[in-house]
Amino acid sequence: MLFVSLLQWWYSDGWRRRAKIVSAQIDGMIDYFSIDLLAKTLFSPFRQISAGKIDGPLGVQLRAFADKLISRVIGAMIRTVLLIAGMITIALTALFGMVILIIWAIVPVLPLVGIILAGMGYAF
Amino acid sequence: MDPQTPIVFNAKSIRSAKARLGRQIGKTLRAILLLTVIIFVAGGAALIFVDYAIGWVLIGLAAIPLMIGEWWNGDLHHIATTKGSADIDAILSGDVLGQLKDQPTPKQLAEAIGRVQGGQFFALRFGITANFLLNVTTDDASQTEQIWRHAVAIREQTGSEHISGAVLSVAILRSFSDYESLLAHMHLEMEHLYNGIRWYEHLRELIADVKKPRRTGGIARDFSFGYIPLLRRFGQNLSEQSAGGFNVKLEAHTKALDQLLETFGTGGRQNAALVGAAGVGKTTIVHAFAERILDAKASVPDSLRFRQVFILDSSALIAAAPGRGELEGLIMQVLGEAYSAKNIIICLDNAQLFFEEGVGSVDLTNVLLPILEAGNLRVILTMDEQRYLQIGQRNPSLINALNRITIAPATRDETIAVMQDQLIITEFQRKVSYMYQALAESYRLSERYIHDLAMPGRALKLLESAASYGDGGIITANSVQAAIEQTMDIKVGVASGEDEREKLLNLEDLIHKRMINQTRAVQVVSDALRRARAGVRNENRPIGTFLFLGPTGVGKTELAKALADVYFGGEQRMIRLDLNEYVRPEDVSRLIADGADDPTSLTAQAMKQPFSVVLLDEIEKAHPQVLTTLLQLLDEGILRDIKNREVSFRDAIIIATSNAGADRIREYIDRGYKLQDFEQPFMDELISSNQFRPEFLNRFDEMVIFRPLEKPELVQVIDLILAGINKQMALQKITVNVTNDAKLYLVDKGYDPRLGARPMRRVVQRAVENTVAKQMLSGSVAPGSIIEITLEQVQQMLGESVSQPIAPPLPPVNGG
Repeated sequence: MLFVSLLQWWYSDGWRRRAKIVSAQIDGMIDYFSIDLLAKTLFSPFRQISAGKIDGPLGVQLRAFADKLISRVIGAMIRTVLLIAGMITIALTALFGMVILIIWAIVPVLPLVGIILAGMGYAF
Repeated sequence: MDPQTPIVFNAKSIRSAKARLGRQIGKTLRAILLLTVIIFVAGGAALIFVDYAIGWVLIGLAAIPLMIGEWWNGDLHHIATTKGSADIDAILSGDVLGQLKDQPTPKQLAEAIGRVQGGQFFALRFGITANFLLNVTTDDASQTEQIWRHAVAIREQTGSEHISGAVLSVAILRSFSDYESLLAHMHLEMEHLYNGIRWYEHLRELIADVKKPRRTGGIARDFSFGYIPLLRRFGQNLSEQSAGGFNVKLEAHTKALDQLLETFGTGGRQNAALVGAAGVGKTTIVHAFAERILDAKASVPDSLRFRQVFILDSSALIAAAPGRGELEGLIMQVLGEAYSAKNIIICLDNAQLFFEEGVGSVDLTNVLLPILEAGNLRVILTMDEQRYLQIGQRNPSLINALNRITIAPATRDETIAVMQDQLIITEFQRKVSYMYQALAESYRLSERYIHDLAMPGRALKLLESAASYGDGGIITANSVQAAIEQTMDIKVGVASGEDEREKLLNLEDLIHKRMINQTRAVQVVSDALRRARAGVRNENRPIGTFLFLGPTGVGKTELAKALADVYFGGEQRMIRLDLNEYVRPEDVSRLIADGADDPTSLTAQAMKQPFSVVLLDEIEKAHPQVLTTLLQLLDEGILRDIKNREVSFRDAIIIATSNAGADRIREYIDRGYKLQDFEQPFMDELISSNQFRPEFLNRFDEMVIFRPLEKPELVQVIDLILAGINKQMALQKITVNVTNDAKLYLVDKGYDPRLGARPMRRVVQRAVENTVAKQMLSGSVAPGSIIEITLEQVQQMLGESVSQPIAPPLPPVNGG
């Protein structure tokens, strides 16, 4: 009876719980790499460097504009690098999670699979 | 649940079986399961690697312990309730259910409770241990159903997820026929136990919350915000603190927190002034605010999300820039940096430090006001009500620029909840455990005795100080009482020591060692004190309020002094106010002055010394407004000082004395009336002659008339004075005896009908002490000798001619 309960849990609440864990891991990665923040502020000046308003002659303002532009470009580059690294990590985490969820489904039959493979004499 | 429907406990249900299995899979077994998985997988892989296909079997078999381990983690460990089942086993918590066999008896239930967390929680917090529960339960299984019924009702009432060990502890107690007496014995009520269940559930939720991962923005959170080197030097980053540790959620502050979010989340001036008394939790709200806006999952406006709160350190700023100009420049730099960074909320904690001149504070209104008025930089200010009003008086435009959020002191339930949350940290730091009774007692006693803080701060302060008075690491209500008794030098518990009980029972005799007769007055004050120390008095009034009426020199003040000396620990425990110094209406402010300005005011003295005798001398001379001010003191034992702080007189005996109608008393006595015969007409005369208003006289517990002393009593007074002189002489090892005829002579010389026995001390001192002094200086007495003073010597010393004895010798009188 308990074995049936175990199987019942494994393919219902247990699987759901595992899916939630995978989802939380992906969420954690998204938060860790600040993906939404990076996307929203992709072209913002980096660390507010040269971000303030400058009053003065046209030459000064042009220089300030150029400074701000450089700050934005540097910011965009750093963010893009981080975005790409983050996306890759998140994709890998998601993939790993999917594999876990698939393996989850076959775990109960693993003893049987093991016996069959052993019976077949399969080895490296 | 229908009371007619029988409650079924099914020990054979799937849930019961799972609970038992979950209990059997202990720590060791789980470790073995994990180890087995590792060994099987590693061993299997190694075998396959060396060409043994049998390795697949091992890898396959590793799935079994793996599945069991996962099952325990995800299901058996915290087994969910079964929906749709009416059986009790469907809603029992897994840890309890796992302990139970078919049809458990109440005793078996009690035993099971002792082994689970909820039961252990109640044992620790309320003293309701498994042994205690075993004593109130039977082996009769038919009585278990009643426990189940109570448990179901309690679970519903407390909103608990399961019928936990905590719920069952209360249910068992509730099933006991005389449970109310049991609870009364433990100073508890059923509602306290319900609160205990909620506390247990709340702790479980907190633990679950802590286990959840925190989302705080990640590594690129601050990329688009500026650098803040100056702020880091002169400020304290609350957001970093809240992200790194365990933070208590205070339900009591939710409303203020929401107001803060609304103020900063919408347009308008981006500032908020948290105004409330010290101790209400203003800084804690700022901490909670910092934590809330840093939580990615919290419901927060986007414009606030991941902003960081910095508390400016005024002393560091002043130290770095000693000159006013330098300081203003530095502040501008710091605030400019905060504004440019675009993610900073500045907090000026104790904001008065930035708006007034003083030690450690500088008035920077000129710099800060334009910033606050412009409303571009987000600023939170915290200050107490009084300072807020003072600053507003000096600079109304500053107050107009602020969005005020008033923080009210916490209620009792809120304070208890805050204490429960705070205990998580306090218990960890102090290595102690608090019982619920200690929390309730902390609230009660701090409300009465701690005046410099508001709730919940004052209760927390007392709770923390009680940590040093625990017994075996457990802090009980007694520990809290001991803490306040030691720190404030008062008595709050019921008299328990043998010495104290003896003293209370013989109070009249002890007082009569110092004063003669006036037995009724002595008795009423003694009775009041005994009631107080036995815990049977009204706690919302002073211990006793008495009006002593009578001529001068009959012992009214002496009784107050004697009481202070005998019971309160010395005459210095008497707070004495001569009300003939309070004859103008403006003297009311002197009566209730702040202790910092006038340490001799009545409220200041009572704050320092709540357990005392308060003597209001010559009350008839006080201005009517002064008497009106004293009405609340007499009625409720409370007087508000000039800062509107409640000062408690509920542990004081209030004695007012008056000479009003002294001539009438003497007249009544001379006409042969006894005290009890003229008491009522005399009081009526006092009211009709407008000397006292009836509502004032009605405030006193007792009004006692002191009658003039008669000659034999005056001789006893002489004996008391002589006893005092002999006490002084004890250092020189000399004893003084005065003959009876000399005593009578001293009575005649010392007694003045207008001043009573008051001049007697002076006369005795002149006659006796001078005689002794002369004899000692002449060398005629040696240490250890007894000086006999005769009538002749007294007459000589008082400058009278020697005469015959004026009365036959008196029989010896005792000291009382």
